[in-house]
Amino acid sequence: MINLEFSYEYNNHVYKLTAERAKENDAYLITFNNRTYPVTSSEIKPGYLRIKLDDRVIKAVVAEGNKNMFVFLDGNAFNMKKVLPTSKRIEKKDGLVSPISGKVVNVKVKEGLSVKKGDVLMVIEAMKMEYLIKAPYDGIVKKIHLSVDEQIDMGMIPIEIEKTEG
Amino acid sequence: MFKKILIANRGEIAIRILKACQEMGVKTVAVYSDADAYSPHVQLADESAPLGNPLSSESYLNIQKIIHAAVETGAEAIHPGYGFLAENPDFAYACENAGITFIGPKSDVIKLMGNKIEAKQRMEKADVPIIPGYHGLRQENNFLFKQGKKIGFPLLVKAAAGGGGKGMRIVHREEELEEAIEGAKREAKSAFGNDTLLLEKYLDKPRHIEFQILADAYGNIVHLFERECSIQRRHQKVIEESPSPVMTAEMREKMGKAAVKAAKAVGYTNAGTIEFMVDSSLNFYFMEMNTRLQVEHPITEATTGVDIVKWQIRIASGEKITLCQETLSQRGHAIECRIYAEDPANGFLPCSGVLTKVEPPVGPNIRNDMGIETGMEVTAYYDPLLAKLIVSGENREDAINKMVWALSNYVLLGITTNTSFLKEILTHEAFRRGDITTHFIDTHFKNWFATRPEIPVEALIALSVYDMMNAKSGVQKEVTVSSVSDPYSPWKRAGKWRIGD
Repeated sequence: MINLEFSYEYNNHVYKLTAERAKENDAYLITFNNRTYPVTSSEIKPGYLRIKLDDRVIKAVVAEGNKNMFVFLDGNAFNMKKVLPTSKRIEKKDGLVSPISGKVVNVKVKEGLSVKKGDVLMVIEAMKMEYLIKAPYDGIVKKIHLSVDEQIDMGMIPIEIEKTEG
Repeated sequence: MFKKILIANRGEIAIRILKACQEMGVKTVAVYSDADAYSPHVQLADESAPLGNPLSSESYLNIQKIIHAAVETGAEAIHPGYGFLAENPDFAYACENAGITFIGPKSDVIKLMGNKIEAKQRMEKADVPIIPGYHGLRQENNFLFKQGKKIGFPLLVKAAAGGGGKGMRIVHREEELEEAIEGAKREAKSAFGNDTLLLEKYLDKPRHIEFQILADAYGNIVHLFERECSIQRRHQKVIEESPSPVMTAEMREKMGKAAVKAAKAVGYTNAGTIEFMVDSSLNFYFMEMNTRLQVEHPITEATTGVDIVKWQIRIASGEKITLCQETLSQRGHAIECRIYAEDPANGFLPCSGVLTKVEPPVGPNIRNDMGIETGMEVTAYYDPLLAKLIVSGENREDAINKMVWALSNYVLLGITTNTSFLKEILTHEAFRRGDITTHFIDTHFKNWFATRPEIPVEALIALSVYDMMNAKSGVQKEVTVSSVSDPYSPWKRAGKWRIGD
């Protein structure tokens, strides 16, 4: 059996769950906060889940965005940030551009410093959420264009990294 | 009747009007900015014309571009919807000049009603009650003091150029008046560079109640009863209902007559709305006239059975109103909720992004006027109104319960919306009692804004089950394939079939 770990961020809080597929079809063991919930689930139509937990039925609608996941449950919509395994997250990004417009709240590196792929370079706050700017590859910090409290626009290059050979 | 109409708007209202045209057999032209090229209103229209630059001033507010599009496509009339150019007399004038029918009143009437002071003076002459006040040019402190005393207390002293509460004072006693006039002048001077003041009787616990009217070019005017629009946040209506919970048959008749009189006094044609303020003793005063289709027109349609947009088109094409006041009636109770892309837990800031799932509630007497669909991107360029949800029931309680149900079954994912806030209002005990004023949200929801609901464990379970079912990376995919479905199952080869086929 394969165990998968999922993390979701909501309201600046990261929730970690592990999920395991049970032997029967559509049966799962979900563990959260040291408690395991045995459930069975069926997808009525794309995104519409009918989950059986003990003798209760959870009816939820799930949709996936680029960086977020959304759940509709009992009339409430919840907007969660996907927290992907670090290694995957960086592979996706090629250049170093800000994904969002916001304010620089922290600069973690200095010019001339060498960084490793995945190192956090800068923290941007937008709409009360923090976004991490990470190094896309191993390299040396060539130029830092913004300092703390400065405004950054989506698509801007906040830091230039010179890629180290190999 | 027109053969082709251009709709100079976007979003839900463009779609509402497009559908009315199509039902009437009139060809339609949509206009769109670059940001709206794939919007549902463009899809629905028979033809469309691009307006380019998404900035409102370069697209939906650009009179020349829109007139040009109408001429190019051979549209005989333009429906402006609400917002954008709907109450711009220059636009109506430009249409008149280009030989295109503007679906609305004449440009000089729009201009007159757009001047709030002049409009009030006209209404006063026509014997429509207005809020007692002083709106004159004489501004000496002792003269204003005398005027204020004459109007009585509580009294509102406000800057003529004002807004946002600056240069505004509520005066409860004569002793406070002198100081209030001086203070308001100082504040107005520094905030607006103009210290002209207005004096008005201050209405304690006012309600906002408006009357819908229809007027044709032959002097026929009918009213379609009232809408209660007191539930507002920062002067933006949030929930509207009809009939008003305070309305009596006698008061309705009086206000309806006043609304018709107001429309007659300015030679109004087409659909319009007379907005009244109603004080706690149920006196009513003319506030302003909206010379266009209102956002909340569907609740009137639900209670009267009259299609306001179709009448707008018929009236503009020169037809006579065949509705008659005596036979018009209200039936049941209707409520509208405005679904905004805004985050109540983040100071109601507008949100933008991609709508990952949109499934509005359906059921008896539930109407969805929407400009959105799954997969659509909501940009920050325009008003955050995504959709309107309108329900009607046998009575107010029935309608409220239906609205709560409908909101609870409104799947709208991808962008934060105000639906949780709407539900809080509808289930509030004071709202249920019908005890509402324009201060309702400020009074009852002052401290509500900061809370975001706790996430239930069920939501987390649903998420991880979903992720488990849709696991994407290499290892996870293998698992999915082998345990979710059997690749050798005969069902895999059956293809599409139905029992009984």
